[in-house]
Amino acid sequence: MKLSFYPGCSLEGMANDYARSIAEVFKDLEIELVEIDDWSCCGSTAAHSLDQMMSAVLPARNLAASEEMGLDIVTPCAMCFNRLSFSLSQIKKNLVDLPWNVTGDLIIYDMTRFLAQDALLKKIKNRVIRPLTGLRVVCYYGCQMVRPPKITGFSDYENPLTLDRIAETAGARVLDWSYKSTCCGASIGIGRKEIQESLTKRILQKAVQTGAQAIIVSCPLCQSNLDIIQKKIPGLKLPIFYFTEILRLSFKENITKKYFKMHFTDPAPVLTKIGLME
Amino acid sequence: MAQNNNSIKNRPVKQFGGSTRKTIGENGNHFLKQMIGETRTDISACYQCERCTNACPVSHFMDIKPHHVVRHIQLGWRTELLKSTTIWVCLSCEMCSTYCPNDVDIAEVNNHLRNLAAHSSIHPKESALAVFHQTFMEQLQKYGRINEFRLINAYNLKPGILKNKIKTGTLKEEIQLGLSLFKKGKLKLIPRKSRAIKEIRDLYRHKRGDIV
Repeated sequence: MKLSFYPGCSLEGMANDYARSIAEVFKDLEIELVEIDDWSCCGSTAAHSLDQMMSAVLPARNLAASEEMGLDIVTPCAMCFNRLSFSLSQIKKNLVDLPWNVTGDLIIYDMTRFLAQDALLKKIKNRVIRPLTGLRVVCYYGCQMVRPPKITGFSDYENPLTLDRIAETAGARVLDWSYKSTCCGASIGIGRKEIQESLTKRILQKAVQTGAQAIIVSCPLCQSNLDIIQKKIPGLKLPIFYFTEILRLSFKENITKKYFKMHFTDPAPVLTKIGLME
Repeated sequence: MAQNNNSIKNRPVKQFGGSTRKTIGENGNHFLKQMIGETRTDISACYQCERCTNACPVSHFMDIKPHHVVRHIQLGWRTELLKSTTIWVCLSCEMCSTYCPNDVDIAEVNNHLRNLAAHSSIHPKESALAVFHQTFMEQLQKYGRINEFRLINAYNLKPGILKNKIKTGTLKEEIQLGLSLFKKGKLKLIPRKSRAIKEIRDLYRHKRGDIV
């Protein structure tokens, strides 16, 4: 199996641990990811806030490149997935004037959705050698991955299940909670920090109330938001894992404290408790 | 004639603050028509059920609540909307659009208003957010990809931003965070440009003109 891979800007900087774990997991699953050679930024919140036309044109460059390779796109970042899908929907409606040739004949996968297909879940199950038995987790999807359903194609936007199914396959106990797709406020984290903090704190608080030992995310911005803020809240130690890190944990024997050194909240105590780390 | 002057239509409406505001319909419906046409969503279908405002995670921080935004457009109150904090505080999390029973795409409406405000002479109420978005677009034009470290530096050098950060004491906090991010290897100091940078600059020139 072969797919073109659009990493997004975050995976080159703040979330390069996410990039590393994705590479490892896909190697284990024997799925080839071909990074789009000269990919460029999708424009994110800024482009659609200031110039809607650019927000449809900028992602289309990457769609064109992927079409040239003749492959479907998979992207790990929720915002990138949203913007690429938006651009594709505009192209299909013939609403943008592009300098490249894009027919719109490709599928854009969100990475969790791609891995949560039945056949791949079976493949994941075969690879799991150390199930995460005893780990209580909640899955947090964030806003951009599931909404608006017309563009993202998630029919279960009220209660998305892709991450839940992946985490269950890895052996974790997934708890139900009602903050799966509540926004964490990352887009205004720099201009109006106090709003972002109030939203992020509420999500963490609810996760603790649900009885979770960890949160599983798929969005690089959600991860850093939920992780960094915990320094300010005394007594809160809730590790925030990327879902690929969870898979990596269950696939391989040798995982050390060093593997998670980019996390602000150290996951070692929780993992030691369930016997996955010495 | 005397009777006419006292009719409801000509009487100025008293607001809570004591100021007077134009009465309903006086602005005509051209703004409503413009918004319906440009956002491709039926704004006049709204029946003020407030589902959007109840779903919004940040309605608490807005001066005009989401359902009022729709009402403002129906009444043609354009300037009030462009001057509001609402359009900048909106997270584009799409809760409102997803749960609207009449399929009014409120997030898109908000986004379009933000576009209008950015292209008007009205000073944005949340200037820090507007400046941040602008910095992001400039960085994208320069390098084709975004690097967090360079983005924040460029943002801090914009007029008024650094001064405000020193005044509120957030600068110290930010430097400490930056240091710990660097120690953890999360900051990339020498980032890669996109190999398609020339193409992107041409695109900017073609679509937006020379800005930077």
